[in-house]
Amino acid sequence: MRYETKIALPSYKIACALFFVVMLSLVRGVTYSYEIGIAMEAPMAILAAALCADTWTQEITGRRWEIQRLYPMKKRISSIYRRLLIQELFLSAIAAAGYGLFFLFQSPGTATEDGLGGEICQFSVYLAAVVVTLFFWGLLSNLLSCLFRNMWAGTGGSLLLWLLTNSSAGDRCLGVWNLFSYTFRSVEGGDFRWVYGKIACVCMGIMAASALPGIIKRCHAPRVSLLNKKRG
Amino acid sequence: MGMKIEDLTVTFKNRIRAVDHASLEIPGGIFGLLGENGAGKTTLMRVLTTVLAPSDGRVSLDGILYCQRNYEKIQRKIGYLPQEIDLYPGLTVQECLEYMGDLSGISGQTCRERIRYYLERTGLQEHRRKKIRQLSGGMKRRVALVQALLNEPEFLIVDEPTTGLDPEERIRIRNLLVDFSRGRTVLFSTHMVEDLAATCNRLAVMKKEKFLFAGTMKELSEQARGHVWSCRAADEAAARQLEKNYHVSLKQYAGDELQMKLISKTPPLVECRPCEPTPEDAYIYVTNR
Repeated sequence: MRYETKIALPSYKIACALFFVVMLSLVRGVTYSYEIGIAMEAPMAILAAALCADTWTQEITGRRWEIQRLYPMKKRISSIYRRLLIQELFLSAIAAAGYGLFFLFQSPGTATEDGLGGEICQFSVYLAAVVVTLFFWGLLSNLLSCLFRNMWAGTGGSLLLWLLTNSSAGDRCLGVWNLFSYTFRSVEGGDFRWVYGKIACVCMGIMAASALPGIIKRCHAPRVSLLNKKRG
Repeated sequence: MGMKIEDLTVTFKNRIRAVDHASLEIPGGIFGLLGENGAGKTTLMRVLTTVLAPSDGRVSLDGILYCQRNYEKIQRKIGYLPQEIDLYPGLTVQECLEYMGDLSGISGQTCRERIRYYLERTGLQEHRRKKIRQLSGGMKRRVALVQALLNEPEFLIVDEPTTGLDPEERIRIRNLLVDFSRGRTVLFSTHMVEDLAATCNRLAVMKKEKFLFAGTMKELSEQARGHVWSCRAADEAAARQLEKNYHVSLKQYAGDELQMKLISKTPPLVECRPCEPTPEDAYIYVTNR
């Protein structure tokens, strides 16, 4: 796990992610604390997609994949899962820290009647929602990168879906099932129907995670040259 | 123990043929693969390491045919040093090898012992705490070679392992490969004739996607016997004229004259005497006859 942390989280990635969150908490204005989640969820999804896109494709750019394919498949796959987990945990940690930075830089007002308890509850809900978001977008981006053997395909494909779902058209079409249902939620009256959108994220995330071994296997299969005859 | 290649053809999607109906038997021990750049050596190695599937022909390793159902079995027997590889830049030499050893399924203690042994053999022991990005090209090449040796494969395929190494390092790596080849098969690809002359008993010469020669180093030299000529050129103009008409494997100033070695099937039309072919002369002869 120690080596995977160094591979999956080089210092430039850590620096970029921290810079991104600091800038977001400085630039994106909020008035009340419940707006912080709205301000953070969608940008954090993009950060997750960008950060996780090269989880495996760095093996292609580093030309190590030709060696990796000689290793047992189980070891290869578990290594990718570990790298993803490390990145997702890091992203979750900075998503939590980013919430605090909004308080630090902007001192938003509170709209809950329960004081500190209400704020902690609001933060916990935000954290749960954003963790699901981060896992989904990280997995999706890595999956697309592996599928096309190109990290830009992962980032680009994710950005496309991000643009479709993080829009009023996406909200209108998908409603509570939107991937960004937490961002588009109604903040009044304790409406928790946005959870459906997160359930959709979890389901698709699980599907992406289970599709990964098959895709890696396909990526590592001998590349068929022209006129290849069918072999047994 | 060995590899068998029968009528192998590899054609890429852009219809460029990289290997053309090549047949070869690679016995146990250290086997050299010699050829100019672009001859098809790397493509052949990529087929043997199951990176590429052949367009036509049959390949078998230890009697196991290269096909979908056998690829995993074959991959477990192979160690591979590709021509180009960037190891994890943020890890130290020790960490990188431990990580790759773990991925290849070697248990912790065995892995550490092997790393210590091979780092000593490759002269990298004192650099084990350096990050990969801090190493010179030659050191990186040696670390990459160690990763290929770590799981002590039955078949080791090394693509230009001595590229970028200084003479002392080259000798060290050659000796390591010779020791490693005992009881195993090592396929050693290079375009440096002296590396093969110092290590291999048997070799194959490739040019333009085909094998031109397969046999022992002595047989290769025998092919050129009687076709290597030593002569002198009075000045640069005369030397240039000879270069135009013959393959020149040696050219050096000896006083005011130029000492030259010509490769020619028939005696050159200048004053000359036949001389003993070196492996390099033999390679030039075989690839240009």
